[in-house]
Amino acid sequence: MTDLSFTEEQRDCLQELINVAMGLASDKLARFLNTFVHLQVPAIGLVNAAEIPEQFRGQYQGLNSSMISLGFFGDGGLRGETILLYKLENAGKIAALLGYDDDATSEAEMLTDISSILTTTFLNGLAEQLDNSFSYAAPRIISSRDNDFISKLEQTAFHWQLALKVDIRYELTDYSFDCNMILLIPGEAVLKLKTILDQVLAEF
Amino acid sequence: MALTALICDDSLLARNQMKKSLPADFDAEVVTATNGLEALAVLRGQEIGVVFLDLTMPELDGVGVLEAIKAEKMDVFVIVVSADIQPEMQKRVMDLGALAFIQKPVNTDKLSAVMHKYGLI
Repeated sequence: MTDLSFTEEQRDCLQELINVAMGLASDKLARFLNTFVHLQVPAIGLVNAAEIPEQFRGQYQGLNSSMISLGFFGDGGLRGETILLYKLENAGKIAALLGYDDDATSEAEMLTDISSILTTTFLNGLAEQLDNSFSYAAPRIISSRDNDFISKLEQTAFHWQLALKVDIRYELTDYSFDCNMILLIPGEAVLKLKTILDQVLAEF
Repeated sequence: MALTALICDDSLLARNQMKKSLPADFDAEVVTATNGLEALAVLRGQEIGVVFLDLTMPELDGVGVLEAIKAEKMDVFVIVVSADIQPEMQKRVMDLGALAFIQKPVNTDKLSAVMHKYGLI
């Protein structure tokens, strides 16, 4: 069986690349919302993708949650899917800030916008540091106003081997909202990622 | 006399990037710290000429370090090297007395420009 585990050096390297990418996404969010984002060290964890639904069950069970998927494709077989998860009550706060009307049409639009700011900016920042460039599939709203999203997460995670969990807490000046970002990466892309991380490490 | 530079970052990669990016003509001994508390312990224990300071760190963040440096009137140049590039954060650290702000990832060109500007090399 292929070894998909990361060494401590590889994990530290990935964490720092993620920090830099997160900084770019936070800056963009801050400018978009015209507020200040308090940046914390994001917790990252690498887990078997099959374990993902269980990991989020406790946090989101029974709540109206939103889940937006974005597929990404890079050079050299580096590809995967990101899922942005957050509670719908948080989406309402952002909707108000952004000036969206509270109806279903603009909600889809708003979710796509937030996903674009947080996920695409993050991934572009990550790709640049990996000396790669990503192209993207159209964002897909997997779940919204739906409390049975764990089963949907199961169906999505099923296709992938490794999941990189990035727990992000965006604290804005006036309030805070939590969201989780999950990067789902297939096995061969994990091997590619490990090779790239080793190259980055070898430079320093 | 050569001065001592302190590199403070929780990431090993970032500390190594920083060391590697130091201009060749920068004649200094380099010590490291992995969070703000460690950095303050170093600053209180020995004479440091310049600190390359990350902001987002566990235990005590870079802003906390800057506040302590200011409160204790330490005589040290601080160059912030951070991924948190929001204008408000840049203003905040400059107001707290940082000499300059460098956006991560750091490289020799960015570092040389800043260090030349302030006569560190």
